[in-house]
Amino acid sequence: MAGLLSRLALLTTAALATAVAGCGERPSASSADSDKPIRIGISLPLTGDFSQPGTQAKRGYEVWVNMVNAKGGLLGRQVELKITDDASNQDTVVADYTRLITQDKVDLLLGTFSSLLNYPASAVAEKNGMLYVEPAGGAPRMFERGFKYLIYAQPATAPKQADVMLDWVESLAADQRPKTAAYPTQDDPFTRPVIETLQAGLEALGVRTVYSTVYPPDATNFQTIASALAARKPDLVAQGAVFEDGVGLVRSLKQLGFSPKVLFQTSAPSNAGQYSDGVGAANTEGVFYTVSWNEKAKTPLNGDFVAAYGKAYGGETPAEDAADAFAAAQVLQAAVEAVGRIDQKALADWLHANSVDTILGKLNWDETGAPQSQFLLAQWQRGKVEIVLPADRATTTTVIHPKPGWQ
Amino acid sequence: MTQLVQAVALGVLIGGVYALLASGLTLIFGVMHVVNVAHGALLVLVAMLTWWMWRHTGIDPIVASVVTTPLMFGLGWALYRGLVVRIRGAPASMSVLLTFGLALTIEGVLNVTAGNKFRSATPGYFEESYRIRGVSLPKPQLYGFLAAVAVLALLYVVLTRTWTGRAIRATAQNPDGAALIGVSATATAALAFAIGTATTGVGGSIMSVLYPFFPASHYDWISRLLSIIVLGGLGSLPGALVGALVLGLAETLTATYGSLRWSTLVFYVVILAVLLVRKQGIFGARLREDVAS
Repeated sequence: MAGLLSRLALLTTAALATAVAGCGERPSASSADSDKPIRIGISLPLTGDFSQPGTQAKRGYEVWVNMVNAKGGLLGRQVELKITDDASNQDTVVADYTRLITQDKVDLLLGTFSSLLNYPASAVAEKNGMLYVEPAGGAPRMFERGFKYLIYAQPATAPKQADVMLDWVESLAADQRPKTAAYPTQDDPFTRPVIETLQAGLEALGVRTVYSTVYPPDATNFQTIASALAARKPDLVAQGAVFEDGVGLVRSLKQLGFSPKVLFQTSAPSNAGQYSDGVGAANTEGVFYTVSWNEKAKTPLNGDFVAAYGKAYGGETPAEDAADAFAAAQVLQAAVEAVGRIDQKALADWLHANSVDTILGKLNWDETGAPQSQFLLAQWQRGKVEIVLPADRATTTTVIHPKPGWQ
Repeated sequence: MTQLVQAVALGVLIGGVYALLASGLTLIFGVMHVVNVAHGALLVLVAMLTWWMWRHTGIDPIVASVVTTPLMFGLGWALYRGLVVRIRGAPASMSVLLTFGLALTIEGVLNVTAGNKFRSATPGYFEESYRIRGVSLPKPQLYGFLAAVAVLALLYVVLTRTWTGRAIRATAQNPDGAALIGVSATATAALAFAIGTATTGVGGSIMSVLYPFFPASHYDWISRLLSIIVLGGLGSLPGALVGALVLGLAETLTATYGSLRWSTLVFYVVILAVLLVRKQGIFGARLREDVAS
């Protein structure tokens, strides 16, 4: 009995001490809050498989925070990024966001890269009632969970990414349209939905499928796919490519001497210099891809972003991943400025009800956080990237069709 | 029929290159029971060096291995003397920890110095093929294969025909016995580690042409290479060759007659089946008998 009593006493003391400590912090914090910087917690894959987009995203976020702070910050407070490395690992990303929220008590969150990492990370944010604006992670599964705090800061989810390519095929005169098509795609949550919807759409337009295959992410040799394509000679080849596989297939097609009339690849051709180095600059001519951002787009702040990025990183042009991260931060910024205070639910509600102008164009969302805009249809022309659709964001009216043979 | 010949030809070409990439790994394990997890990172390091030389001097990437191979030999020797020697006699798990740390260091250094970007060397022939009766042999794959065969043959001759090679094999088989007849275990191990690392000189050069790479590529490679040497039998050079050919053929045949999707699975099924029947891998125990003869 005495033991129980003393334990109770101890518990009470502990509870009181915690409460007092809490009281001690709160009042001073509320008055000092306006001077303290706003802290934004971010975990990124800075090492491991996704280290490349992760590093670009970090740069995008950093360019944004420097621009915002130079203009006086957010709600009159300076902004501070707390970035941790999740090593491209799902367990680490969960631990990172949990720590950022519960221990570091950051004011706001921004997302990480790839659907693979954003899927569990957004669940941590949702559970803790924190707004989660992600710069990547467009796989359909992301938006099937009924989350209220998830916002995807790109123009469209993966299944709708190639709609603009479909529009282009549909716009062709009947005798110009491809009659047959082949669809090799990497087994990746971000490429497969793009290619699957494109295939369904083209089939509905009467384009016959002559070949379709899914290859594993670690595939490095593409000669077998290329020889299957060379044998079936499709007019259009649409590849769900991440990067190495996109370069690998073009090289193998060239080795086998087969050049389709239309070549569409996801992601790979958007890695500007790295792609043209990989396939040889002359072989990029006429290659189509869809992209969320373009360096020449006349969207608000885009010129400033490109200039600031170049200044910070030795004259380099930003990668699309850096632009997406910058746009995610712009979305968060717009919500905070409109709501006027940091109230996670109010921020999420505001984003569901409004649209935001970003360097990717105007973005708006449905109730699941899925964006309702359109990607850009880009094409390599004379060693440069031009936007050919949609018309209001196009940088040229010329479309190269059919694609010239390999050089 | 042409399709079958094409698939087999490509499988053999790919397998030959895989064999070269895995040879140093299995040699180092055979002699000192060190699982060198940094092998993939060393390959990427060489690929980066090769790319850099090709970009700035135009020197052919495969020819560049004349420079990178001695460099890697020196680096391997220094790594052994400086680091690996400290874990001699420790369980193999220690070597995994040590070399994993080394791999992360190399990845980090490459990230900072070379940048976190995909690179690939594209010499004039990188997208050309020889065609023989409807079967195409991509030139880079073929040159890579020939370079791999040359290095593997040289390695074989060194190991079986020279005193140094015999010393290495003797140390692999029975370190105490070798010491008794005057073979210095430390010097031999350093030499074996240096030779094993030197193979990444040619391997990395070929890799720079055949596969786009970036600092973190080494994770994919090390898992593939470890699978190859486990299949062939840890420590066995002929085993690495057979394991690599099995992987190359599994990749191309599955892709041609089934779906590329299953190629990795088929390879692991083969490993599992082999290990169920022979737990030491295809050539696992035989190497030591070979060494003795």
